[in-house]
Amino acid sequence: MSGNTIILMLGISTLLGALGLIALLWGVKTGQFDDQSKFIDAARYDNVEDLRDAAMMDEKKKAREKKKKDHYMPAD
Amino acid sequence: MAKIPCTHCQLQFDEEMMITEEAQGKTLHFCCKGCQGVYNLLQSEGLDSFYEKLGDTTLQPAVTQNSDLDKFDLEGFEKKYVTLHEDGLKEINLIIEGIHCSACVWLNEKVLHKTDGIIETSINYSNNKAKVIWDPDIIKLSKIIQTIQSIGYNAYPYDPKLQEERAVKTRKDYYSRILVGVFGTMNIMWIAIAQYAGYFTGMERESKDILNVAEFILATPVLLYSGWIFFKGAYYGYKNRVVNMDTLVSSGAIFAYLYSIYAMVTQTGEVYFDSVVMIITFVLVGKYLEVLSKKQAVDTLDTIMGSTPTEVTAIKDNVKSLVSVENIVKGDLLELKPGEKVVIDGIVKFGQGSFDESSLTGENEPVFKQEGDEILSGSICLDSVLRYEATKDASNSLLSSIVKLLEESITKKPRIEQLANQISGYFSSVILLIAIATFAGWYLYSHSFEQALITAISVVVIACPCALGLATPMSTLVGISVAAKRSILFKEATFLETMAKSDLLALDKTGTITEGRPSVINAEIFEGFEPSMLLALANTSNHPISQGIVRYIHDHYEKLDEISLENIKSIEAKGIEAVYTGKKIRGGNLAFMNESGINVSFDSHHSLFFFAIEDQLLGRFELTDTIRQNADKAIEQIKAMGIKVVMLTGDHEQSAKSVAQSVGIDEVYAKLLPTDKAALIDDFHAQGHIVVMAGDGINDTLALSKSDIAIAMGSGADIAINVSDVVLMDEKPESIYEAYAISKRTFRAVKENLAFSLLYNTISVPLAVLGFVNPLVAALSMSLSSLVVVANSMRIKMIRLKGK
Repeated sequence: MSGNTIILMLGISTLLGALGLIALLWGVKTGQFDDQSKFIDAARYDNVEDLRDAAMMDEKKKAREKKKKDHYMPAD
Repeated sequence: MAKIPCTHCQLQFDEEMMITEEAQGKTLHFCCKGCQGVYNLLQSEGLDSFYEKLGDTTLQPAVTQNSDLDKFDLEGFEKKYVTLHEDGLKEINLIIEGIHCSACVWLNEKVLHKTDGIIETSINYSNNKAKVIWDPDIIKLSKIIQTIQSIGYNAYPYDPKLQEERAVKTRKDYYSRILVGVFGTMNIMWIAIAQYAGYFTGMERESKDILNVAEFILATPVLLYSGWIFFKGAYYGYKNRVVNMDTLVSSGAIFAYLYSIYAMVTQTGEVYFDSVVMIITFVLVGKYLEVLSKKQAVDTLDTIMGSTPTEVTAIKDNVKSLVSVENIVKGDLLELKPGEKVVIDGIVKFGQGSFDESSLTGENEPVFKQEGDEILSGSICLDSVLRYEATKDASNSLLSSIVKLLEESITKKPRIEQLANQISGYFSSVILLIAIATFAGWYLYSHSFEQALITAISVVVIACPCALGLATPMSTLVGISVAAKRSILFKEATFLETMAKSDLLALDKTGTITEGRPSVINAEIFEGFEPSMLLALANTSNHPISQGIVRYIHDHYEKLDEISLENIKSIEAKGIEAVYTGKKIRGGNLAFMNESGINVSFDSHHSLFFFAIEDQLLGRFELTDTIRQNADKAIEQIKAMGIKVVMLTGDHEQSAKSVAQSVGIDEVYAKLLPTDKAALIDDFHAQGHIVVMAGDGINDTLALSKSDIAIAMGSGADIAINVSDVVLMDEKPESIYEAYAISKRTFRAVKENLAFSLLYNTISVPLAVLGFVNPLVAALSMSLSSLVVVANSMRIKMIRLKGK
């Protein structure tokens, strides 16, 4: 086996592994694993309704921001 | 009689007692109004898929809450718990009570999401904590709490700044570092296998170099990121002039790393990147487990603090006003309403009433207080309105001092652990000194920097993982699994060692030596006694005495008719009265009978319960807390091991003495408050004892956290289980003896293992110093020594316990 082959194999596999690790670390940092049970339940109860819920919450937030902009009152 | 489940909470009840309702052609059954209300609410909101998600889980029956919600909008409350965001949104952290399963989490989130004005909610299922962000222009906090209560749960706030934020942050930090460490270790190991194979069968120089570089790339982030914690520890150690385990770990890792780089660059010798990452990762995992156990204790602490009121009713110049607890000073006059928790210690000035002091003394019977009596924070006023004068301010009151002390003890390491660190510190310094001496000696002798460095590093590397590394954990691991099979859970390996060294056992009375619930020991029944009536009467109350009567009737009478009573009135601390077919029936204590015009006189040092119809006394029961089976035998066996046994209790002297006598304990401390118990444990420490404490209640928590080893009963209060080191799942007193026996046996194995590895070190380290150790010899001797240690540890499994 030539040296280049070894370098290629080691390099690619380590890189792929590192990408996975970075994704995992990002998940930990943003709190996606804070609740172990919920993590599993999300897979169990995954449905359209939850998606709609999330969209609804997003809209609520946007609506509030918009309202605030419309009624913006500078401090005197 | 058929038992059927409640449609909402799914608990089983007798059919006749339930509320029925017709809906969509089906008959629904509810155990109470609360459950019915929640069910209908969910139906009308279109959330009925909750019951599908619920599966077989049973819930607590929904209680109709009527606590005053106004307090959530008070300024003092808001200042303490609510954070204001820059954009005008408000945020609060809540603990939601009554969450049993993921369906409950789903329901709460769903309902909150649907509420106008709530911008964000997330509920953590593992610890029932929730974060809610809302728009104060649209909705008030009290309304949010009300929404949660309307679906049958309860919510109260907690302050995450106390401990939690910090604990969560360290936990996440450790977790990330471990992930990097494990990733690096796993990948280096498979490269190292190729290296080892190449060492024995021969390998091209070029391939070897490539593998070396790959290992270097993987090891660097592990050393710098995951190993950072050890560098920090070693640095603080250096600043305080202490050599600790961190010093050894980091110096071993750094030297091995630097040497490996040197070997890689100069293409001479072997690299040790695999040892670098393994040392760091393994020790890091051990530290992480410690952090985890702390986090759990913090969670339950928040529950206690969250349930304490933030405002009290103060009376100044005959005007009542709600005042934040921080503003109460000594001498203020305060008013207590029924059901309120006392937050400030004081002395009763007007009125009288009974108090539930179970969270302080562990005793379930209410205590009667009148003018001039002292009331303590943490107790709950049960039945009347009374006024009292504050004798302390909030921060000095009993309840907050308990919480404060607990917080401290959670973050503080136990004494023994510090001692262990000290010993490993000596070991580390000796090894480091030897390594330095080796380096100097070899450099002077051979004038070869390379050779000197290799030998010095081999000393550090050989000594580091093996000596203290495997000897202890291997045998404690076996010890823990042997204990777990007997339903004794040791939370951490080191506790076995500490327990084995202990020479004093402090036992709590109620719930530990005794069963913690009164049962009938003497019953006298007069003509006309109706067991079914008494059963119905006793069933209306949750008081431990009533429950004891219920158990007695179930044990002694069969097939009783269900009777429904009218006008049920419960007189706290005295008894219950009700009307059945026009006749007044009463059950309660002596004072209650005499007050009701029934003349009885009877003297007993047990609790008494009388039962009467109209003016006719029909039954007299004596109840006492029964001692757990085999408690005397277990205590005798523990004493035979040379351990001193003492009893600590919040109960009065007389009953404490009689229990102590029947189980064979000579030293009894009675009438103790939680802080007294803790002070006693400190006294024992001062006398040089290593103390094991067994208890079950909130009142024991402080003493438990102070003792070297805390044993909790499996059914005890959550907080007690969390601060404890050992949990007895089967609650048998023999288990305490077994825990002792197993830990002593394990400790013996640890000592044997340590002696062996010390021997190994005294042989291998000099050899390494003299430069005889090459990788082959090191690998062989290391695995051989490990095998010996493992085999010796396995012998613990053959332990024989007395009486088995």
